[in-house]
Amino acid sequence: MALSPVVTTTSSASNQPLENLQTLRPVSSPLKNLASGSGQTSSNGTPKPALAPAAAPTSQTLPPTLDLAEQMNEEEKRKYVKGKKLGEGTYAVVFLGHLRSNPAARVAIKKIKVQKEYTEGMAPDAVRELKHLQELQHPNIISLLSVFSSKDQNLNLVLEYLPLGDLELLIRDTDNVRYGAADIKAWMGMLTRAVWFCHENFVLHRDIKPNNLLIAADGEVKLADFGLARSFADPHRHMTSNVITRWYRPPELLFGARYYSGAVDVWSVGTVFAELILRAPYMPGNNELDQIKMICESIGTPTEDNWPGVTRLPEYTVPGQHPTRGRDWYEMRFGIVGTDGVDLLIKTLALNPQKRITAREMLKHRWWHSEPKPTRKDDLPRKDVGAGEDKMGMDLKRRPGMVADDDRGAKVARKLDFGQR
Amino acid sequence: MATEDERYRQSSQFRLWSFSPTSLRELRVKTNDLAKQQISPRFAPDAQPEFLTPAEETMLVQFFTTELIRAAQFCELPTEIRSTAAVFFRRFYITNSVMTYPPTELLKTSLFFGCKAEGYYIRLAKLAEMFPNTTSEQILAGEFLLCQGIRFAFDVRHPFRALEGAVLELRKRLPEEEGRVAKAHALARDILKFSPLLTDAYFHYTPSQIMMAALLMVDKELVDMLIPVSPPGDDGQHEASHAEMREKIMKTIESCRSMLEKEPPQRMKDHWETPDLVKSMKPLRKKLQKCRDTDRADLVALQRARREQATTKVKKPTPQSDGAVFGDAVEARDPKRRKLEAANDLFGPTL
Repeated sequence: MALSPVVTTTSSASNQPLENLQTLRPVSSPLKNLASGSGQTSSNGTPKPALAPAAAPTSQTLPPTLDLAEQMNEEEKRKYVKGKKLGEGTYAVVFLGHLRSNPAARVAIKKIKVQKEYTEGMAPDAVRELKHLQELQHPNIISLLSVFSSKDQNLNLVLEYLPLGDLELLIRDTDNVRYGAADIKAWMGMLTRAVWFCHENFVLHRDIKPNNLLIAADGEVKLADFGLARSFADPHRHMTSNVITRWYRPPELLFGARYYSGAVDVWSVGTVFAELILRAPYMPGNNELDQIKMICESIGTPTEDNWPGVTRLPEYTVPGQHPTRGRDWYEMRFGIVGTDGVDLLIKTLALNPQKRITAREMLKHRWWHSEPKPTRKDDLPRKDVGAGEDKMGMDLKRRPGMVADDDRGAKVARKLDFGQR
Repeated sequence: MATEDERYRQSSQFRLWSFSPTSLRELRVKTNDLAKQQISPRFAPDAQPEFLTPAEETMLVQFFTTELIRAAQFCELPTEIRSTAAVFFRRFYITNSVMTYPPTELLKTSLFFGCKAEGYYIRLAKLAEMFPNTTSEQILAGEFLLCQGIRFAFDVRHPFRALEGAVLELRKRLPEEEGRVAKAHALARDILKFSPLLTDAYFHYTPSQIMMAALLMVDKELVDMLIPVSPPGDDGQHEASHAEMREKIMKTIESCRSMLEKEPPQRMKDHWETPDLVKSMKPLRKKLQKCRDTDRADLVALQRARREQATTKVKKPTPQSDGAVFGDAVEARDPKRRKLEAANDLFGPTL
């Protein structure tokens, strides 16, 4: 399928280094790989019966003590070699790894820890992440190359290796990293295509923010961390409003809306857009009330006039009346992306989700075609590999919905729920 | 080629869980063989039990799928979740044998995990309460096993939304025949709630093919309307290729229909829930009782053993290396460690 319906990309090299990896995803008949693989001891955990002959697993075949399901798991596991640890948090440990058959093909292995405090089995974050990454394949979405379980019953996600850190790293490093309107346009193009693809596949990401946008070796931005994602709900089935990291959370969620749409992600995209321009979080509220206050001040107070029905949302409260900001006000602050860029920003930050631009409409916006053309991905500003590698470790080990690293996450009790009944 | 087809081919349902009838049969035979190979050494050579055949395993899985459906109805789970749970259950037993892992347990685990995969967070304890003699621990013991068995593919594509789409389309084209469309809608939905789960339909056909097959069972003309003989607004140029494609599609839908017709929804009451059927399952269940993998029948104990195995494996080398490096300070902690290892023996030899 097409990568996006419109949008000009000044893409250059078509030979992605990861292309050979992409094809490694398990395909069609699971019987295909059964014959190969080399000897390993049993991982099924059943203590061997006394009568069983002590077969020395030296041959190239898998031990016969494995069920078919276990053999398949073993096959996947054996395709990769685990390397050094890139980061460790309470949620996951991230390792560098490579293909056994080709040591030059690097991967990141994210081992999800068993969550002791969650007593209901496999953590919902892990289930969501796996569920959606299994289905979404797009150049701007992190690729899940494989999944396997290790002996200690931990989940291992083999993800594509993205060594150049994330967008947050670039935004914050104002001393060393310079970027301009063409670079912002290129990054926004990649982010918008990622979100468009999610929505096209009926998936809401619900945690879009700069440190979930990782950067590949060739400069391509990839949306990661699907731990809060969900499929579009059927009508009348409500969803939790406690999603999306606060600074990037749209007003309808702050007001406790239980029925919402892709517009929630578009708002986050708008706040990321603003952050790319300002090089600082646009609306960094200290708590939810403060967040609403900042939205009212920066954009305007949601009222029945500009958003019919808003006062009936479960948690509607506003600190005071601020007029909706006019175009001039935006031009003054965000003018570096040009009039067209400002127009797109205003449309993504529409208070009323019904009036907010959709991802598909975003891709059709004239900004992409106006001057300057977006930077080619190889020419985008970047950090060096070392810094990026650590950052990837940090990003991947994080729990979804967290602003910073685990230390901070541990202190601020986790406020995101999973809609427990 | 339609991009929707391409997109479906990227789904885990197509990549990992769609087979030709032959390869599905081969998988089941292989699973059955491996189970026999593993269980056989647990019995004396002169006292080998009679093992289940692949066909008998399939029969049992089918029977337990009806139990799962009934359990889901009892727990008042929504249709999609019930179907997801049933598909998980059936996928699990493609690469795992009924003789290895007890279907009565996996059935409950499938229900629980089906809810989780669909983002419907029912409390574990609440679910356990619904079943007689069931603890939360028992339901959870099989969870990881199930996840591995279904190859970590948690997204199942059902034909229900396809049906809603087709019905919208039909309402538009047949504004005069509201009643007819409504009736077809209800009947087709009943079929989709049961027949594809009891047969191998999900393994061989796409959701839209399954939906069309169900519609074909209730009102063939409606299918003709949705898949017209001549391409709409065509100048005759593509007629040949359209006819060829249509024939292929109709053939596929027809074969899916004959599969679904083997298990129409009324079979639940007329067949699966009858005392005769329950009685006829008895010998099979008895046979299973005798030939099953006794070491792996108790999922709770198995889960505990696997955990122990994982932790002791990591800890074992530390006493010497720590002692060598740090000397007495660490040695002092050793008795405690030994005690821990002794405690592990509780689960060790008995299994």
